[in-house]
Amino acid sequence: MKLLLLIFLVQAVLQTIYLPASQGTVQPMDARLIEQTCKQTPLYNLCVSILKSDSRSSKADVTGLALIMVDVLKAKATGTRNYIKRLLRGNLKRDVRHGLSSCAEVYNSVLEADVPVAIEALQKGNPKFAEQAANDAAIEASSCERSFSGHSPLTKSNKSMQDVSSVAAAIVRLLL
Amino acid sequence: MGGSSTIPSHTRITTTTSDLENAAYAPLPGHSSPASPRRPLKGFAGIIVSVIFLLALVALILDQSQEPLDKPGKDEAPTLTSNATSFSNISGPVARGVAQGVSAKSNPSFSGHELSYNWTNAMFSWQRTAFHFQPERNWMNDPDGPLYHKGWYHLFYQYNPDSAVWGNITWGHAVSTDLIHWLYLPIAMVPDSWFDWNGVWTGSATILPDGQIVMLYTGDTDNYVQVQNLAYPANLSDPLLLDWVKYSGNPVLVPPTGIAPKDFRDPTTAWLGPDGKWRLTIGSKVNTTGISLVYTTTNFTDYELLDTVLHAVPGTGMWECVDFYPVSINGTKGLDTSAGGPGVKHVLKASLDNTKLDYYALGTYFAENDTWVPDDPEQDVGIGLRYDYGRYYASKTFYDPVKERRILWGWINETDTENDDLAKGWASVQTIPRTVLYDNNTGTNILQWPVEELESLRLNSTDFDGVVVEPGSVVELDIGSATQLDILAEFEIESLGLEETNEVNGLCGSGATDRSSFGPFGLLVIADETLSELTPIYFRLANSSDGSFETYFCADERRSSKASDVFKQVYGSSVPVLDGETLSMRILVDHSIVESFAQGGRRVITSRLYPTEAIYGAARLFLFNNATGVNVKATLKIWQLNYAFIHPFPLDQMH
Repeated sequence: MKLLLLIFLVQAVLQTIYLPASQGTVQPMDARLIEQTCKQTPLYNLCVSILKSDSRSSKADVTGLALIMVDVLKAKATGTRNYIKRLLRGNLKRDVRHGLSSCAEVYNSVLEADVPVAIEALQKGNPKFAEQAANDAAIEASSCERSFSGHSPLTKSNKSMQDVSSVAAAIVRLLL
Repeated sequence: MGGSSTIPSHTRITTTTSDLENAAYAPLPGHSSPASPRRPLKGFAGIIVSVIFLLALVALILDQSQEPLDKPGKDEAPTLTSNATSFSNISGPVARGVAQGVSAKSNPSFSGHELSYNWTNAMFSWQRTAFHFQPERNWMNDPDGPLYHKGWYHLFYQYNPDSAVWGNITWGHAVSTDLIHWLYLPIAMVPDSWFDWNGVWTGSATILPDGQIVMLYTGDTDNYVQVQNLAYPANLSDPLLLDWVKYSGNPVLVPPTGIAPKDFRDPTTAWLGPDGKWRLTIGSKVNTTGISLVYTTTNFTDYELLDTVLHAVPGTGMWECVDFYPVSINGTKGLDTSAGGPGVKHVLKASLDNTKLDYYALGTYFAENDTWVPDDPEQDVGIGLRYDYGRYYASKTFYDPVKERRILWGWINETDTENDDLAKGWASVQTIPRTVLYDNNTGTNILQWPVEELESLRLNSTDFDGVVVEPGSVVELDIGSATQLDILAEFEIESLGLEETNEVNGLCGSGATDRSSFGPFGLLVIADETLSELTPIYFRLANSSDGSFETYFCADERRSSKASDVFKQVYGSSVPVLDGETLSMRILVDHSIVESFAQGGRRVITSRLYPTEAIYGAARLFLFNNATGVNVKATLKIWQLNYAFIHPFPLDQMH
């Protein structure tokens, strides 16, 4: 009996150590905010999966969730820009090279303009500029996609950018 | 931020992009291995129970692993077979059906596989306006603190000195003796104090009876709280008001209880109440109700918040750039902001944050208790009339004591992409300042009209008298250059006695190609010879259900440019046309901005255009009639307009 009691105690201690420190445990309240927020975006599943995988979301208000989404947008844009640079080093047909150069330029704008403006606007409480920036990122992505007269090597990236932008814009809209 | 994470989520996401094998996320910090039992067990029951608890614990820990995100670039080596989905099938930003709800930077109508446009420097240079106020470069937004002082009209404006996008906001400054020929001055205020560290935002000037100037503006503090600050000229005897002093006791107003720290901005010009105290109003919101808070003061450093608001309208959201001013019912001249009494109505205006549209309403101000009631609650602020039915926001008026006018400024943003703005190095213009008068013919709206000083830019004019345009036809107007114009046009319709066709579904339909018996007809501005690019500004009449005519005034940007990445919208509104009135419009064409006024300024539409062909000498002007059942007879007077040659004030030449 004493042994059982000891085991229970040990388990209790272990549980109290691990439970609070378990990163990303979404308490029922936080999960509700994420779900409520994501329901008002055009891509619920994407929205939820992105937010739930970011540890900051458990303590975030809607502005915080928007900032997380902008961060993801930034990461995707960075990834795509790097990918474009890699592709440009290769042997390419002239029209593909031309399209990729346009895309490099627009993804640069997403990173130099849209992302910093969105972050600043959200932090400072002037969210309409963040909405504009998120919508612009989607347009830049579609502009990149249209730079290719033939097959686009960036369709998935561009779609991904579009998707995340539309979700980000929808979250920001909740602040307006 | 989450608790004790040692791996920033941001880094986690970026590494997955290039590291395709690493499909799962790194395990959460501190949980690299599950706990293991620490003592040998003697009882079998004890073993079972412990194992159960351990399994539960392990399950809890592993549950924290995340689903992998869609990783960019995963399947995109150029040698892979292409994904057959046409790009146009992919869902883009959510489309909103109502024109008003669409954010100007969302463009849901991808036209299939159109090639993205390659802008040239010639195209970009052409877009700069000839006679509208804009800084030499970089970003501008809200007009601030407009005022008249010692012979000069002053304009301040939200300005980013570093980039062509919003950010790092300072107060730009310019002066003019005639509201048209502007001279740039050095930046008036920068974010150099804790109470405006994150932005010197919008504000308004109050001119005191003794000539002192009080500037109240919103500062975004170093903690991102919106507060109101007081500033005043360092030297009132300086006509140029070059230097400004920020009150050492700033901020003078902080968000009151019940108001969020990010919902408190854009103080108005103050007005005197019957008790001798000044009042001003600041927009905000409570849940989704837009409100206008009222403060009283005697010295502009100490304030009292009133219990009641000036006005509130549910469902309109945050009210930015509130403006509140009297208009004279006889509609002949403007009034000082403190004017009141019989024969005066008050305009209350708000810029709605959630739709980026400026709404106003006429009503009555009760000075005894500082409340305002709209003449028509169904046309209340935020749900009724707009100053401008096009691209227009953050407007603000001031009183011009010299010519006794109420003058209205409005910010016109770009509708192209940020990429374009960065490439061309600038973004945004202000409208031509407009006089505001009460329309005592309709009694339901104000009239806006470009200030008369604009006429000093008029060069030669061309008259056209009674030009007949038959249904479905287009008539070129031979006026020479067509990029800088002041057009006055009147239209008459002659019924052809044909059976009336099915009427359009309200407003402006889906643009100028939406034909019906009595419209559309009007002008095609910034059009090229082959009409591959054109912007119709037009009227369309429709028989309403009770047998009377409804007149709509519209601007259709859908074919304004071949470039696919610019925002191209159909704008418009119904416009009152009284018995015996001719249909008339005035259009100011200035490169990439067009301001169109119907019926003497009853309704106004501002458009932004970014043509690729209809530029410089290739731009033309046409009359058109797309109605099916009427001939249109047009009489026009068209002036070429000169440049305003806006340039820096020659300060170094001053002694």
